[in-house]
Amino acid sequence: MRQGNRQGRSRFVLLGILAPAVIWLVLFLILPYFNLFSFSFWQNDVFTVRHEFNLLNYAKFFTESQTGAAPYLVLLDTLKLACWVTVCTLLLSFPLAYFIRFKVTRYKQALYMLVIIPLWVSYIMRAYSWKIILGTNGILNSFLLWLGIVDTPVSFFLYSDVSVIIGMTHIYTPFVLMPVYTALEQIPQNLIEASNDLGGNRLRTFLHVVFPLALPGIITGGTYAFVLSMGDFLAPSLLGGPTSSTKIANIVQQQFGTSNNWPYGAAIGIVILVLVLGLLEVTGRLERHFSKLESTSPRTLR
Amino acid sequence: MTKKIWSVIAVAMITSISLLAGCSGKEEKKDAAHEFQGSTLSMLIWEGYADPSFTALFEKQYGVKIKASYVTSDDDLLAKIKAGGGDAYDIVTPNGTMAGFLMESGITEPIDTSLIPNFKDISPRLILPDMKKDGKIYGVPYMWGPNYLIYDGDVFAEAPKSWSVLWDSTYKGKVGMWDDISNIYIVGEMMGLDKKDPGALYNMTEEQLATARKKLMELNSSVRKYWVSAGEVNDLFANKEIVISMGWPLTIRAVNEKGRHLKWTIPEEGTTGWVDRFMIVKGSKNQKLASLYINFIIGAEGQALTAKVTNYSVVNPKAAEFMSPELQKMTYVHEMDSLFVKLNFWQYVANRARYNEIWTEVKTGK
Repeated sequence: MRQGNRQGRSRFVLLGILAPAVIWLVLFLILPYFNLFSFSFWQNDVFTVRHEFNLLNYAKFFTESQTGAAPYLVLLDTLKLACWVTVCTLLLSFPLAYFIRFKVTRYKQALYMLVIIPLWVSYIMRAYSWKIILGTNGILNSFLLWLGIVDTPVSFFLYSDVSVIIGMTHIYTPFVLMPVYTALEQIPQNLIEASNDLGGNRLRTFLHVVFPLALPGIITGGTYAFVLSMGDFLAPSLLGGPTSSTKIANIVQQQFGTSNNWPYGAAIGIVILVLVLGLLEVTGRLERHFSKLESTSPRTLR
Repeated sequence: MTKKIWSVIAVAMITSISLLAGCSGKEEKKDAAHEFQGSTLSMLIWEGYADPSFTALFEKQYGVKIKASYVTSDDDLLAKIKAGGGDAYDIVTPNGTMAGFLMESGITEPIDTSLIPNFKDISPRLILPDMKKDGKIYGVPYMWGPNYLIYDGDVFAEAPKSWSVLWDSTYKGKVGMWDDISNIYIVGEMMGLDKKDPGALYNMTEEQLATARKKLMELNSSVRKYWVSAGEVNDLFANKEIVISMGWPLTIRAVNEKGRHLKWTIPEEGTTGWVDRFMIVKGSKNQKLASLYINFIIGAEGQALTAKVTNYSVVNPKAAEFMSPELQKMTYVHEMDSLFVKLNFWQYVANRARYNEIWTEVKTGK
């Protein structure tokens, strides 16, 4: 009886502690998503929304328009861009994380911080600075002209897919570096030494010990880069060219802005949401599949 | 003893009450200037319409604050009003694209012109039909002007004659255009649609739209950037990313201040124009203050100050006496009529969703 009472009280306390978080989640996550979901089945009028259930918004997204191709092709373009950004950020982050983890002995923390510090600078500042670097009369072109590598400024550096990829790679690299570095850091030195003792050379150790153990971190980092760059509308609109500044997130933003079609925007939002949830499920499974180290308990290493 | 204390308290109370009463009496006598002390006037406007060179004068005179939010296109304006409404903005400055719609759908309120004595000085030509309904004034003209073809005087020896210069391969990758459906109007003018009826640009048939779409798709390869704001096109010209673009006098002023030589022209096909007007959003709690501001800024001096910042044309010809000779020339203040008749003023596009859809298709290249 008394025990039951105590249990009841602790449950009450737990509820009290969790309540703010639950209210927060319901108000700012679940309700808005629910709202978005229901909007996606309604129809737009000029200044209002008609509340009649229909699937026209989804149909519109997946079928050809009167004059042009189906809008979902923009989503495919965006996925392609996100793949590029993921590959570039990984190619940049992994060697860097590896270097900081295994090659640097002093100032390890300082080096790590150098990569993280840009996160404190406003996003728009970082995107704008690329305009100064990549522009026709920008730093990069001036440098190439000075070296004599080119005769006239290279125009595709800025306002093209290239500049969007460069900008996003810069912006999302810290998000990839952090999990990759964490994964590398958790690899016990004795495993590497064991590999060496058993006659494994550096490449063999890397391929059979370090890389497989870092894979979960690489997958996490890659997922971050992919999902974040897929939902980014600022970098394309600031750095993109005539046909590369409108990605799927820009289309969604347009529906809630200039195009004034909230239901259609909601429908595209739901499509993206489903896609991202599916992606997270797959990468989550992959991560668990490749996790060989139980980072919290060193028991398995004994 | 206690009696004495009580009498002292009583005297103190009486004097303080009378003092308070005196104070409040004085407050009632305070003039209109202090009626608004501490209020904030919120405006949703185009870039250049809240420069401190004139807003500060008004703020000081009435002890109020002016809060400006900017729009980047007519659709953006509608979206922002939709999101904010009368709680967020007191004044908006749409042009003919959205004004009629805002009036018809009851988003804005009639304006009491008796509070705006300077209204009588506005050139009657600029009080357009879509500013009035049932004998009431809904829009008070503020500034107007053409959508020029702006070009870099260092690159072009003489003014381009036609809008088709944008498609000229000589300037490939050096063309800037506004990220807006108005590009469809430009192609419409090149097709000669508005020769007989100016309204035809805003009412294009599906077939005409398809032609415009094809033409704009071809333009994609020449365009460096579809700019979103006036600030962005200024940078594009200043950094020599582009040499030609549709644009407004505001850009010419801002870029030439940095020692460049931008020039403007109206191509032979003609061009569209706009009259920005003040409208008061329904539910605004500062209607009287809004009227005072409108009166101030359409007055001769307010107009001249705005023209100095934007290089747009004034609606009040009396402004000329406050303007430099160059500014008078640039804004055509003495030739208002001759400029006015050249322009096809933007109108409401009933099928705006379709125009927007076409424009998105062009931008995505799909």
